[in-house]
Amino acid sequence: MSDRLTKQEVLHVARLARINVTEEEIEKYQVQLKQLLDDVDKIKEVKLTNEDRLIAPVEEKTVCREDEQGEMLDPEEIMKNVPSSNGNFVEVPVMINE
Amino acid sequence: MAEYKKTIGIEIHTELKTKTKIYSNSVNGYGKTANSNVNVVDLGYPGTLPTLNMEVIRLALKAALILNCEINRDMHFDRKNYFYPDLPKGYQITQAETPIGVNGYVEIEVNGEKKKIRIHDIHIEEDTCKSIHYKHHSFLDFNRAGVPLVEIVTEADMHSSEEAMAYVEKLRELFLYADISDCKIEEGSMRCDVNISVSKTSELGTRAEIKNIGSISNIGRAIEKEAARQIALIENGKEVEFATYRYDEKQDETVIMRVKEAGNDYRYFPEPDIPFVEIDDELIAEVKKTIPMLAGERRERYVAAGISLLNANKIIQNRNLSNYLNKFLDSGINLVIASNLLLGDISAYLNKMGTELENTKLTDEKFIDLVQKLDKGDINSKVFKDILDDVMEKDTTIDEIIASKGIKIINDPSALKTIISNVLESNSASVTDYKNGNTRAIKFLMGQIMKETKGSANPELVNKLLEEELNK
Repeated sequence: MSDRLTKQEVLHVARLARINVTEEEIEKYQVQLKQLLDDVDKIKEVKLTNEDRLIAPVEEKTVCREDEQGEMLDPEEIMKNVPSSNGNFVEVPVMINE
Repeated sequence: MAEYKKTIGIEIHTELKTKTKIYSNSVNGYGKTANSNVNVVDLGYPGTLPTLNMEVIRLALKAALILNCEINRDMHFDRKNYFYPDLPKGYQITQAETPIGVNGYVEIEVNGEKKKIRIHDIHIEEDTCKSIHYKHHSFLDFNRAGVPLVEIVTEADMHSSEEAMAYVEKLRELFLYADISDCKIEEGSMRCDVNISVSKTSELGTRAEIKNIGSISNIGRAIEKEAARQIALIENGKEVEFATYRYDEKQDETVIMRVKEAGNDYRYFPEPDIPFVEIDDELIAEVKKTIPMLAGERRERYVAAGISLLNANKIIQNRNLSNYLNKFLDSGINLVIASNLLLGDISAYLNKMGTELENTKLTDEKFIDLVQKLDKGDINSKVFKDILDDVMEKDTTIDEIIASKGIKIINDPSALKTIISNVLESNSASVTDYKNGNTRAIKFLMGQIMKETKGSANPELVNKLLEEELNK
């Protein structure tokens, strides 16, 4: 088995995370990401004594909220925190595939 | 040559009728100023955590029960990861592994044949923000972000556009009557995605997904168009591409949106911010109690009471009218007359005034009294029309209204007989026509008598006496 991911695999992960990577970084991550995956495989070897799924660090059940309205933000305040706005709308570069 | 068979599966997203959103307590509302129903959770501000709305669980559970699903008693949520501006968190909180309901069914009827459409699952998730695209920019409105949805996924059990339309109509009717959603396809509170493939053999063809079809009739048209497109491809030796389409109503054709990539990159994993949700017997019993009589049972009861199927369906299309009529199901009054009143003059009045039944002065007692008076012939439909405005707008009883209008119903046979003889005398030509076999002449004579009595005669009684007189 290879000790590294392919270049394509690294680029794929980079695309999912929306980050640009340099040629040097790609080479570095090919090895590092593979090590991470191998470590996860090692964890998979643990023999489980029960099949119960753990989804949260607490064992308590969810406590639900009743359907009552709380505080909302003023659109003006929201627009202060976005890179670009237009009136009451948040503006972003055009989204494709819609 | 073997025929092509269509195979269709449908995914429906429906917004739930709650006051607040699913994971935050901001308002769930339609048509407000952009970004005015938004809080820090909806925008995914760092450090915020989701809090689950109990009403969402109740409504989704109600939906799952109506769809005859098995309930996942220990359910959780999952993160569907994707990077897109319509969800600022970078993931949608949905249910992948433990949807609230699985293995259900909906019964539909097409051309008199009943059929069960299996439900693969119904799961809970949050809606994304609404985006408007203009030139090189997209404009985002987060009012819809975090609105609670249920997604209902069928098995690929449908084989015609009629079945697909019947399924969507049935689901809409169920959810509308159970008060789960307002199911407005045109406004987007109910959205349908259709998966369709064609094949001549038992092996399924490559399917195409048609997204977000805007009306039930368009579902039928989109299926027919897409099936024809796929058949033409296959007949020409080409392959159907595994892709997503939208239906263009103006062009009446399916337009490609994107080719589907193999496998998914959503990297689902359990949502750690929302621990397990327990659905116990108590909750199920509580929710079951909130399920009202559904459309199917209403239809059966109406038809059994003698109401025509056409009128039964008309009433069911208007939930307010149907709920009103249901108050009298066991009252013993004539439901055919009751339904005719509701669909006819009362609906016309409500439309004219732009109001609803509950805003009028029509009490249950007055309604029963009206129906009984019509049933016994104490008043006729002409009189009913004359008093309708007062019935709807005044606190007085029906008897008081009739008295105040100076209306006297002629129910006395001897008084009527005199009027009838007079009318027959002055219309001897029509009497001769009738005796010569022109049965339509009786209608004319009837009209003359009603005119003479200014519409205050009991029409059934007049009809009976008139026939007796003519056949002497």
